[in-house]
Amino acid sequence: METNISAAYRPVIEVKNLYKIYRIGENKVRALNGVDFSIGRGEFCSVVGASGSGKSTLLNMLAGLERATKGEIIIAGEHMETKNESQLVLFRQAHVGFIFQSYNLMPNLNAIENVALPLTFQGVPKEIREKRAIKMLKMVGLGKYVLHKPGQMSGGQQQRVGIARALVVNPEIIFADEPTGNLDSATSLEVMQLMQKIVREKQQTIVMVTHDNYLAGFADRIIHIKDGKILKIDNNKTTIGEAEYNEEQSILQ
Amino acid sequence: MKLIDLLRMSADSLFKRKVRTILTVLGVVIGTTSIVVMISLGIGMKNSMLESVESYGNMRMIEIYEPGRYSEDSEEEVLRLDDALIDTIYSMEHVELVSPVLEVTMLGKCGTYEAYLWVRGMSLEALEYLDIPFAEGGLPAPGDSLQLIYGNGIIGDFYNARTGMYDYWEYGTLPDVDLYRDTMYVILDMDRYYMAGSTDENGQIIEPPKKYIVETAGVVAGGVDEYNPHSYSVYCDIDALITQLKLAFKGQAIPGQPTQKSGKPYNEIFYNRICVYVDEMENVTEVQSQIQMLGYETYAEAEWIESEMQQMNIIQAVLGGIGAVSLFVAAIGITNTMMMSIYERTKEIGIMKVIGCRIRDIQLMFLLEAGYIGLIGGAIGVGLSYGLSALINYFVGGSDFGIAKLSEIPPWLALLSIAFAIVVGMLSGFIPSIRAMKLSPLAAIRSE
Repeated sequence: METNISAAYRPVIEVKNLYKIYRIGENKVRALNGVDFSIGRGEFCSVVGASGSGKSTLLNMLAGLERATKGEIIIAGEHMETKNESQLVLFRQAHVGFIFQSYNLMPNLNAIENVALPLTFQGVPKEIREKRAIKMLKMVGLGKYVLHKPGQMSGGQQQRVGIARALVVNPEIIFADEPTGNLDSATSLEVMQLMQKIVREKQQTIVMVTHDNYLAGFADRIIHIKDGKILKIDNNKTTIGEAEYNEEQSILQ
Repeated sequence: MKLIDLLRMSADSLFKRKVRTILTVLGVVIGTTSIVVMISLGIGMKNSMLESVESYGNMRMIEIYEPGRYSEDSEEEVLRLDDALIDTIYSMEHVELVSPVLEVTMLGKCGTYEAYLWVRGMSLEALEYLDIPFAEGGLPAPGDSLQLIYGNGIIGDFYNARTGMYDYWEYGTLPDVDLYRDTMYVILDMDRYYMAGSTDENGQIIEPPKKYIVETAGVVAGGVDEYNPHSYSVYCDIDALITQLKLAFKGQAIPGQPTQKSGKPYNEIFYNRICVYVDEMENVTEVQSQIQMLGYETYAEAEWIESEMQQMNIIQAVLGGIGAVSLFVAAIGITNTMMMSIYERTKEIGIMKVIGCRIRDIQLMFLLEAGYIGLIGGAIGVGLSYGLSALINYFVGGSDFGIAKLSEIPPWLALLSIAFAIVVGMLSGFIPSIRAMKLSPLAAIRSE
C-alpha cells in the first residue's frame, strides 16, 4: 500500500541540487549553494530569509526568469533548465501566475483589463476574458472597482488586482515575491488570508518569498534559507504521503 | 495574441504619449509631403509635356515619306507610297492602322467668301480612328462623293473676296459662312485658276477652271479659338478625293503627283504620306526601324519624346531623392522615439514577459507602433500634399506657362506613399523592437 500513499503526494515543484553562482569581477558569489526540496500540489509554501540569502534568486529560477548554474528544476513535470526563452514564456502562460511586491499593474489599464491581460496574451476573445476577469475581481472582493485604474486604488486594492491577475489563467502554481512588502500590517493580513483561501478552495500551489517570519507563518510549510542553503524546513501541516514519497526518492537515488 | 489586441495595445501606448507621438508623426508628415509633392511636380511636368505634344500629333503615329532623292533624273528606282506598301506595313506586328494620306490645296468659295483649303484625304477607317469630336454632322459614308470635314478654326481662314479682307483676323468678326449648311464650291485646278484670263502659248484665252459643289460631312466641335489637333485641318475620304481629282484633271497630270519620264501621268495615284498607328508608344521605335529597313523615310513624335522622357525621369528621381532625405530624417526620428519608449517601458515589457506575453508578440507590438506612426504620418502627409499641390496649381497654373497642372498626384502615388511611410516606420522600429524582444524579464522587473 506504500506506493498508493506516495501516489497521493505528487510534487508539483521539485528542486534538485540547485546552484547559482554569480561572477562579480574576480569573486564568485554563491547565491544558491546546493538546494533540494519539493512542494506538493495545493501547498502554500513560503521561503523566508534575510536579504541576500538567495530567496529571490530561488524564486526567479523557479519561474524561469533566471538560469541555474547547475541542478534541476522540475515544475509540473517539465524541466525548466532545458527550455529556451520562448518555451519559458509559453510555460508561464500555461502554468504560472505571478504576484509582485510592487503590484506591477499597467497604469493605463483599468482593473478588468489588467486582470484580463494574461488572457489577452493567450489569445482569449475579449468577451470571455472580461467575464473571467470580473469573476476574479469579485472573488478578491473588488466587485465595485472593476473600472478603476491602478492610480485610483489603494495599495491593498492594487495587490488584490495583482492576485486576481495571477489567478485568472487558473495556474497550477502561483509565485509571490514579497506580496505584502509595500502594504501596512492590517492590509498584509488580509492579503495573506486571501492567499490561504485560494489554496484551500482551488487546490493551487503558492510559493511565497518573504523576509518576514510572521507572514511566513501563514504558509503550510516554511523553508528557511540563509547564504544560499536551506537552513531548515518547518511543516505547519503535514501533507499525507509526503514522508513516504521523500523516503522513496532517497532510496531511488 | 490576437491581431486586434495587438493593434489596440500598440495604438493605446501611442495615444498615451501624445506629445511625443505628435512630434514624431510630424516628422513623417513632412517627409511624406516633401516626397509626394516633389514627385507630383515631376509627374505634372511629364504629363503636361505629353499633353502638349499630343495636341500636335499622335504619340503612337509614324509618318512615312518617300525617300529623298539627290536629283529628279536619277536612274535608281523610286520608292513610291502605294497600296502595296500599305499592305506590307499592315502585316507588321503592333500595327493597328495604316492610312494613306493625300493632301491637296483647293480654293473654297462660299457666297462672297473664299478660302484656300489644305485638304487631307485619309481612309475612312483612319478618320474614324482619329475620333474627331463633331459639333455638327459626322464622317462621310463609304462611296459618297467628295465631302469635307472642317476643323473648328477653318472658318477664320475665309476672306471676303470683294474686299480681300479676312474678317476674323482684321475685325474679329466671323465671316458670314455656315460651313455646315451653306453651299460650298471648290476649285481644284489652282494653276488654271491663277492663269485664267491670260492667254496661253497658242494665243487662246484660258478659261477659268470648273467649280464643283462639295457637301460638308461635318464640322469639328469647338470655337474658332479653341485649339485641338483637328482645329486647322480639313479632312475627307481619300477615295472620294481621288475620284474627284481624276474627274477634274481628266487625262492631265494631277498637281503634286509624279510623272513618267515622258511627261505622262501614272495610272496609279501615289500618296503624299502614309500614317501608321502603332498599338503602344513603346513599340513605335520597333515598327519605325522595320519601315526604315524598307528604304523609306519616317518620322514619329515618339522619337524625340523618348529622350525628353528620359530627362524627365532623371529630374523626377532627383526631386524624389530630395524629398526622400527628409523622410530619412523622419525615420531616424521614429527609431529614436521607439528607443526612448522602450527605455521608458522596460518595466512594462518585463511584466508582460513574466505574465506570459510571447516574445514575438512584444516585437510585433513595437513594430506595429512604429507602423502606426508611419501610417498616420503618411496619411496626413498625403492629405497635406493634395492641399499643397492644389495651391501650386492655383498660383502657377494661371500664369502663361502653357501648363495646365504643374503638380499632379495620381491615386497610385497617394497609396504608394502611405504604404511606403508604413514600411519606413516599421523598418525604423525594427531595431528597437529587437531590443524590446531581448530585454531580460528579470532586469525589466527590477528596474524601477
